[in-house]
Amino acid sequence: MTTMTQELPQVRGVKQIPVFEGFTSGHRTCQGCESALVMRLMIKAAGPRTIVVGSTGCMYVANTTYYSTPWVVPWMHTQLGSSGSAATGTAAGLASLMRKGKMQQEPINVIAFCGDGGGVDMGLSAISAALQHDEYNLLILCYDNESYANTDIQVSGSSPWGANSTFSPPGKVHRIMNRRWKKNTVPMLAAGHPDVRYVATACGSYGPDFTNKIRRALTIGGPTFIHSIDPCPKGWDYDPKYSHELGMLAVETGIWVQYEIVDGELILNGPSRAIARGIRRRKPVTDYLQRQGRFAHLTEEDLKFFQERIDETWEKWWIPGIVPFGPHDEGE
Amino acid sequence: MSTVAVEVVYRGIFQKTLARNIVRTIVFAARKEGKIGTAFGRYGDSPERNGIPAKQFAIVSDSPEELEENLAVYEAGEVDVTINVDDTMCKGIESWAWYGLQPINALTKPGGTLIVTSRQEADALIEDIHQKDSPFNLAIVPATTSFSGLWVYKDDHTDVRILGALAKVCPELVSLDSMVAALEDQGWGGLKLTSARNSFDRTTQRPVEPGEGNDETPFTFELLGWRAMEDGLVIRGIDGATGFRGGSLAEDYDPIRSNASGDTDYQPTRNSVFKKFSTRSMRPVINFETCIKCTLCWLQCPDTCFDVTPDGLYDANMDACCGCAVCEAVCPVPDCITMVNEAEFNDNDSQWEHWTRDKDGYEKWMTELIEVQKAHDADSERSHGYHSPGKYEAESESEVALTGDDD
Repeated sequence: MTTMTQELPQVRGVKQIPVFEGFTSGHRTCQGCESALVMRLMIKAAGPRTIVVGSTGCMYVANTTYYSTPWVVPWMHTQLGSSGSAATGTAAGLASLMRKGKMQQEPINVIAFCGDGGGVDMGLSAISAALQHDEYNLLILCYDNESYANTDIQVSGSSPWGANSTFSPPGKVHRIMNRRWKKNTVPMLAAGHPDVRYVATACGSYGPDFTNKIRRALTIGGPTFIHSIDPCPKGWDYDPKYSHELGMLAVETGIWVQYEIVDGELILNGPSRAIARGIRRRKPVTDYLQRQGRFAHLTEEDLKFFQERIDETWEKWWIPGIVPFGPHDEGE
Repeated sequence: MSTVAVEVVYRGIFQKTLARNIVRTIVFAARKEGKIGTAFGRYGDSPERNGIPAKQFAIVSDSPEELEENLAVYEAGEVDVTINVDDTMCKGIESWAWYGLQPINALTKPGGTLIVTSRQEADALIEDIHQKDSPFNLAIVPATTSFSGLWVYKDDHTDVRILGALAKVCPELVSLDSMVAALEDQGWGGLKLTSARNSFDRTTQRPVEPGEGNDETPFTFELLGWRAMEDGLVIRGIDGATGFRGGSLAEDYDPIRSNASGDTDYQPTRNSVFKKFSTRSMRPVINFETCIKCTLCWLQCPDTCFDVTPDGLYDANMDACCGCAVCEAVCPVPDCITMVNEAEFNDNDSQWEHWTRDKDGYEKWMTELIEVQKAHDADSERSHGYHSPGKYEAESESEVALTGDDD
């Protein structure tokens, strides 16, 4: 059972994206910070009747220094691993106040954001719990810059294989220090919480798609989850002007897959759909990797390995790019 | 008994390794002369962000007791030498660690020296540097600003050239020989040592008199103490938005449905205690005549810096723009948005207002700026972080040639 949600129409094209700003200038993020853009696009899509809760990470620390805020909408900080619990608590609190007549009956969007450290690593259990409480309308947005970028780039469960970081500096004996493959978070949450009506991946480089995903998540009812890939000029080490382009390259090389799972149905979006249908060829991963200082130490052999792993996800996986396992082949 | 303090003012992350190389080598060199020192980053600047001004310090004393005495304070209140590794910071800096604009020479003690890496002339820099009521010296190390990111270091000898210049302007700190010995200890040799020595020989100083320079009063903010905050230490959110330049929003304005392409003019209210523009080392110059109103610059700006004008154009607010150049990258029209070195500007005035007031004048102003930038790019391409393998090495070659020759 879910309560009423706001009416947030889908947009067709960039020119319909709202002019409204709920996350404005004057935050202390890096030049070209894609996560700041994600915050801005998120609140543009959600509108002013929204409460935002943020767990520790860049989007907390860099945005709200002493007596300073870029938020127009109400915002509150919560601890690193608790974006899920804070979202449930906020939604439950609002529902309770409205039920008791202490607040006017009104659908209010509740969004909790977390970084990949807060979402993919520490907060995964709380997010899982939030996704089980289907009586509350809420959205958890994981802005994934593939490291603990706020504290100067430590490896997270979302860091890609081979990436340089404070915890995985390439050495003379061991060139590749992050030997883990990036965690496949969205399929895990989708498979694990079949009652959740909306789970999606997103990228701030695709403005209308991003806006529509936020709006679908906020209007479908119940708890929802969006995982967004955010190029990070600080930790990925590239010229900030390429933030937008690198987001697109992540999708065009097939490293990041754009999709949404709506009421149990998988819909691929944009370039990812074109790639899956064979209309468009994947760009070589080197186009993406060689633009970033964090991969500057990779050799030809490493790049080949990376390409093979990506090829495998598209060619061998049961659902290309998304689900690695399938039914046992009985030989029929 | 004496203590010498040096600060390095740098662009966060981009120049962190450069700053560390400088302060660390100062301490190593001091130890060659039997002195003792410490190099450290400013805690308040951490975690650093790309481009946001930050500081590292080197404190060198004759004895451990004296050093301890100096380190008992959180950071140096005044320094003998200020090193500024990006000349656009001469306009003042707004860091993580304080509120308001701090002049670049704020900590430089009377008679101290400000070393700047720049390709500008001294007079052009002094125009930007805020006046002091005491004299100081300005030394210029001729160099294109050295930017690199966190993981790949761009070795264009900027570090050793500054150290060579430092030995010249502050002989009481360390001698050139100790400096070179400290460089050798770190495994640097050959051309890099030549660069350091050449820089020592070529560095000149220009005395700056009290009252000379930029007479602008740096902006400051009054912040409430925590006792004055609301219950629960609540801070008021930012108060919405207005129409362009404070007018009222359109009557049919709807935050869910009104868009930025012709529906309404719109100007977001901005954070009142942090402006961010001192993070900028270049700024967008916009050709309003060729703009096709595609909205992409406005849409993709992470800093919400574009105001939507009544004629449906996008005016970059120069108090909020931090110069990331994403707008230039996403703009589909050639040369409609061009990033131009911040040193070319003396104010944060609205380009759209300039254009509406005087279209011919604006055209001339804009064309000149773009030409200057293109000429500069042809000489050494604007580089603001890692591009591709081998690019730093190629870029460094022309830089090294500036002081690395053997004649």
